[in-house]
Amino acid sequence: MTRGRISLSNVEVRTRGRISLSNVEVRWSDRSILAVEDMQIRQGEFVGIIGTNGAGKTTFLKVCCGLIRPNRGTVKLDGRDLAELNAWRKANFRKHIGYIPQAAEYNTELPFTLRELVAMGRTSVKALLRPLNKKDYEIVDNWIERLGLSERRSQTFRSLSGGEQQKALIARAMAQDPEILMLDEPCSNLDFNWKYQITEIIEQLHRETKVTVVMVSHETSLLPSDCSRIILLHEGKVLADGDVEEVFKSEALERAYQCRIETLKIAGRRYTINKSQA
Amino acid sequence: MDSFFYLVMFAGVVAGASTGLLGVYIVGMRMPFIGVCISHSAMAGTIYSILLGVNPVWGAAVFSALSSMSLAAIRPERSRLDANVALAILFNLMLGLTFLGIGLIKGSRSEVLGLLWGSLLFVRMSSVVTITTLGLVFIVFTILFNKELKVLLFSRTIASATGVHESFVYCLFLALCGLILAVNLPLVGGLMIFSLITCPAAAAYQICTGYRSVIFAATIFGAISALAGFLVSYYLNLPTGACIVIVSATIFAISASYRALRCQLN
Repeated sequence: MTRGRISLSNVEVRTRGRISLSNVEVRWSDRSILAVEDMQIRQGEFVGIIGTNGAGKTTFLKVCCGLIRPNRGTVKLDGRDLAELNAWRKANFRKHIGYIPQAAEYNTELPFTLRELVAMGRTSVKALLRPLNKKDYEIVDNWIERLGLSERRSQTFRSLSGGEQQKALIARAMAQDPEILMLDEPCSNLDFNWKYQITEIIEQLHRETKVTVVMVSHETSLLPSDCSRIILLHEGKVLADGDVEEVFKSEALERAYQCRIETLKIAGRRYTINKSQA
Repeated sequence: MDSFFYLVMFAGVVAGASTGLLGVYIVGMRMPFIGVCISHSAMAGTIYSILLGVNPVWGAAVFSALSSMSLAAIRPERSRLDANVALAILFNLMLGLTFLGIGLIKGSRSEVLGLLWGSLLFVRMSSVVTITTLGLVFIVFTILFNKELKVLLFSRTIASATGVHESFVYCLFLALCGLILAVNLPLVGGLMIFSLITCPAAAAYQICTGYRSVIFAATIFGAISALAGFLVSYYLNLPTGACIVIVSATIFAISASYRALRCQLN
């Protein structure tokens, strides 16, 4: 039995990957930038976070993984309050969070090869002072291959295209064997073909591994059909939270974006059109 | 050449190599100002030790360790203060304390002023042993925490979010950084040790295409900068620290030109 999983005759059932927020508020000076009354994200859910610029999407993600400590309220990962843990235990508890931040939060100029970068995913899984072994590199190579990056293995991360860099970051997160995958705008600055490819990969990974996925996206069309729940944030508050159909039909979307919106469903994806300009 | 200068050259090579290696991480983390801030803390510590009549190395170590720890407390995603602004404030405070200390010294200030520019005459066998030991400790540290340091270089946010013991490794790194700068201070000088941290590492990042080669190149460039700087200052009777700075900056200029040429040819 692997940590956090029960194997039932070749069927792996994940038991970890739950997030719960209760009465959470994050303030910046006198301004509330995130306020969430009560929210549960269940194991294996695919949750899409949408909202306008400055709605609090990234803050929400950072609160969920304990990067930002809220001014009030509790954030629990698998039932454990992160605020109650010291730095060492908190780090141990976050070993199985795969986090892909926006490009501004990592250094693309360093001469790491793709393999070195993906191997970083094994860092938190291994204890301090223990180097990566052959088994770790087998896992790393497996994810490089699964994401179709084998030919780029020895190339530096900085020499890869934007789409390949995102694939590499996903491989790094997956090499960590995560229970929760958190993605902050994984398709920003990519062309439409790469955007489609990346979301397809995330969807496929969710189906295959049953990992909990929390994905922030500006564009509603980038949320894959697997995304069963949408949280709409506006000025730090949850304007809508529920089934995808419900949220897209609700008035909340028009209130958040302050325009008339029509939603088109094409090949399982939802495209929003500003009808005010039409 | 007097046999004493062989000792000086050895000390220079070790100092250059260890600060060059240190620079790989400081430059890679995009926080080169950490180096200048801690080196000035070490300088302030040395001056107040002289004033109080205690071993200057201890004063430098205590001041730089305290500065390092306060820098480690600044969390990029939690603090309202930009890390570079905090560094600038701490740097100004240390510079103020340094010059206040210089002003308080009665009698000859030559020893203290020598700390600003660095001097060969400060080198003793004991300091060579300390510099070498700390250099070796830092090498062991980079080997033992290699996997964590790589993630820290790539992104402290990812390291923190994904359960890497980032705070622990970063604190250890800053503490070692403070100690290395404190012991190398009398040799290179407080105002110029910063160049030994940034120039060799920046030059290595210009021309190397792999992480390991950056580490080796920065270490070698650091050693060459210190050795060549010492030799130039010895034969031309010039200030040591200034010569080291000029040599290290020249190495950077050559590396940057080489990269530009290579890009044009490709």
